[in-house]
Amino acid sequence: MPSSAVGLREELRALERAYTLGHHGPAVARRRASLVDACLVELFERAGAPGRVALVATGGYGRMVQLPASDIDLLVLHDDATSIAAIVDALLYPLWDAGLPVGHAVRTAAECLAATERLDAWTAMLDGRLVAGDETLAARALAPVRARAREDPAGFARRLRDAAAARREHFGSSAHLLEPDLKEGSGGLRDVASLGWLAAALETDPESAGVIRAREREAVDAAEAFLVRARSAIQLLTGRRADRLVTELQPDVARGMGFVDEPNLLATDGLMRSLFEHARNVEHVAGLAVTRAMAGAAGGGSTVVADPAAILEALADAAERGDVPSVELLDAIEDVAVPDPVAWDVRTRAAFLRLLRSGERGSAMFDVLDRVGLLARFVPAWSRVRCRPQRDPYHRSTVDAHLLAAAARMADLLAGSGDAEDPLEVATVAHVERPDALLLGALLHDVGKIGTGGHVPIGTTIARDTLDAMGVAGPDRDLAVFMVEEHLLLPDTATRRDLSDEDLLLDVAARVGTPERLAGLYLLAKADALATGPAAWTPWRETLVRELVAKVQRVFDRGDMGEELAAHLAERTDRLRELLHGEPDDRIEGFILRVPRSYLLAVDPGRVAEHFRIVMPPLGRNEVRTAATAGSRAGTYEVVVVASDRPGLLSWIAGALAIGGISILAAQAFTTEDRTAIDVFEVEGAFEPEITEARWRAFRSTLRRTIEGSISLEHRVREKGRHYPRPRVASPVTIRVLNDVSEFSTVIEVGAPDRIGLLHDITRTFADLHLGVHLAKVATFDGRVVDAFYVRDELSRKVTEPGLLAGVESALRERLET
Amino acid sequence: MKLVTAIVKPHRIDDVKDALREIGVSGLTTTDVEGFGRQRGHTEVYRGAEYQVDFVPKVKVEVVVDDGDVDGVVDAIVKAARTGKIGDGKLWVGEVDRVMRIRTGEMGPDALSG
Repeated sequence: MPSSAVGLREELRALERAYTLGHHGPAVARRRASLVDACLVELFERAGAPGRVALVATGGYGRMVQLPASDIDLLVLHDDATSIAAIVDALLYPLWDAGLPVGHAVRTAAECLAATERLDAWTAMLDGRLVAGDETLAARALAPVRARAREDPAGFARRLRDAAAARREHFGSSAHLLEPDLKEGSGGLRDVASLGWLAAALETDPESAGVIRAREREAVDAAEAFLVRARSAIQLLTGRRADRLVTELQPDVARGMGFVDEPNLLATDGLMRSLFEHARNVEHVAGLAVTRAMAGAAGGGSTVVADPAAILEALADAAERGDVPSVELLDAIEDVAVPDPVAWDVRTRAAFLRLLRSGERGSAMFDVLDRVGLLARFVPAWSRVRCRPQRDPYHRSTVDAHLLAAAARMADLLAGSGDAEDPLEVATVAHVERPDALLLGALLHDVGKIGTGGHVPIGTTIARDTLDAMGVAGPDRDLAVFMVEEHLLLPDTATRRDLSDEDLLLDVAARVGTPERLAGLYLLAKADALATGPAAWTPWRETLVRELVAKVQRVFDRGDMGEELAAHLAERTDRLRELLHGEPDDRIEGFILRVPRSYLLAVDPGRVAEHFRIVMPPLGRNEVRTAATAGSRAGTYEVVVVASDRPGLLSWIAGALAIGGISILAAQAFTTEDRTAIDVFEVEGAFEPEITEARWRAFRSTLRRTIEGSISLEHRVREKGRHYPRPRVASPVTIRVLNDVSEFSTVIEVGAPDRIGLLHDITRTFADLHLGVHLAKVATFDGRVVDAFYVRDELSRKVTEPGLLAGVESALRERLET
Repeated sequence: MKLVTAIVKPHRIDDVKDALREIGVSGLTTTDVEGFGRQRGHTEVYRGAEYQVDFVPKVKVEVVVDDGDVDGVVDAIVKAARTGKIGDGKLWVGEVDRVMRIRTGEMGPDALSG
């Protein structure tokens, strides 16, 4: 027994050492309070045990929950007649001198009642417990404080609810935040205490009053014990009155409380999971109790719930009405024999979807279902994401809380109650045909976060199994699985990849396949981000994701890619992989990524496999590689030319072919993102059926010397052309300039009578105007050439300047018609 | 000492980081920013829904370097950030009066190294 405040300090220190970190639970907290009591009794005696003064313990100390660094909360009661200052000095100075933290108030009975104006002072007095002094005075002061709460239990409950909401706003939730405040956070010890205050406002005990159920009480008691241990550990580690379980403290607290690393669950995550579990129970029970108290005494009726499907139906009814589940309903739900796992039928599915469509209220019901231990029986995959912390810079919630929040956000978006300012959201919602699939996709999108890494593929498998168990089939199932599988595609691509890369857009379009899926992915990206936290959906991210979605939609609109083309492309790349069997995989994949999609779609995989060998080795600046093989018809050849792209290259190749006496029947020019030109020509001899090796050599030499700048091609082509008759101008030159065919290029279509050097002349014109040819398709039909050129300006942009567009047309006309 | 500030395209930031690490720059700060230069804003269209994009998303990179390292750092950033297309960004270099490592109190170049 301490003989003084200094003695108390020593006793408290001894108590700290008597139990290991993590084992300072409620019993130790009670012991601590008793030690303080004894010291105060002695100090009161020493102060002369004055009459008409009472020493009352308030707050946590009043409840006998005294933590290592808690203030000693004291209320000194007196009536005005007494000279109180000297007495207070005699009580407090020794405590202060011993370095013990004291929080005190000195009041008369009338002042106590007046102090109830402030909720924190009021509730502290509701915890009041006489330690020493005048019993009658204490009763006279504290009874009216309690009576005031009993006058209007519903009103008092409302004030508690408002205070809890304000705390949640300010401190967040202890039930899912990674660095929770164990005292003030929602689901923390203040919420536990509020159940005691609520009880003080009721005439009978809370259980008979129908405000709390026996099982709920047990859950809260267990939670309080855990929270007291964790919070005491924090205070013992920091030596301060700290309440926040910050990341740095978690390893020590986890070890102290007996958590060890398990497969797929670190000790710290185990600690947090248990903590979330308890805090959720507190949050849930405190919320229900306050709501029930506000609604007045329970009706006393009883509800019967017949089977598992009826549980969901009853909760869906409550969600749609906007009610919290009644005590009777929860009792009835707990009486249902629910198999594990539940066998789904059409009723179960219908009610489950009704809950999903109810947004936030539906999510709250899923939470209720989880609190009574049933959600994981309906959705077995839930057991592995329950209360699982996520440690990354964005997520603030546990996996399951995030999934429920994302589903609720998705319901909001689909109901049109999201952001009316986002035209993309409005337009995507208008095109959603399968809202249930999007809700299911949102609910399951992160279901693979079970601590084994690679959550997307794992989640896809789990989602597929889950949807099958639910009996969700057909297009709804496919779309929901797709949502899970590709939920990162848009945000990852938008923020990490070059959105001005046409092939990237084609790849995204190929993976997405349809406008409906694209709309779904946009809504999921938004719901996911909104559910994650304020840092996840910034205007910065939104702008990038929207840009990607708009561009991919235009790919669909133009028909550049879609399900059929994607399948065709996949078939061709698979064939190419087979043909290149034996090459290292990373080289093959690198090649496929590097070449344009238009090339893979246009050129036969057999040819592409041949090109692989001359495209892959790094190119020197002036290096030109060519290869010729037999063409599709007798007497024709396929020539491929690979070189670093530069303005004029295509015209030089065309010119070198013309000078070499080689006629171009068809041409396709492609450019990779790293500016390598892959130009493929179908040619025949202009004068003789066979093109000899000597001609090829002459062609290569001309081209090489042109690129090196040692000869002027322009002059030679003109000279060559002069010797041959011009075709009769029976067919006119036609030129069309189109700016809506491609996302990044201006398309120029040219039709003209064929002649020697024609392709050279056309492409020469582009080069003169500093336009790069990004893609070209050239074909000859019956003496007439029909060409399409995809050109870009020096900065790789579409040509939009009206003057330049008109200039292109007139320059082409001038060159082709004279 | 100098402060090198660069505004680059979001998808180039990893390359910029790698390039700086390669030449021994041990610390940098990045921020998601929005703004416009010659590129200006533009109108996006999705299925007939039009919306104005006033600011273009970019990433700001800030590195404090010793005077002698400025050219190397500028060079590395420019090389890594350049795509040759419009909107590759800007870079500027400014004077820095004082640098301190908060933990140790080291000042000047000492606060930059290690």
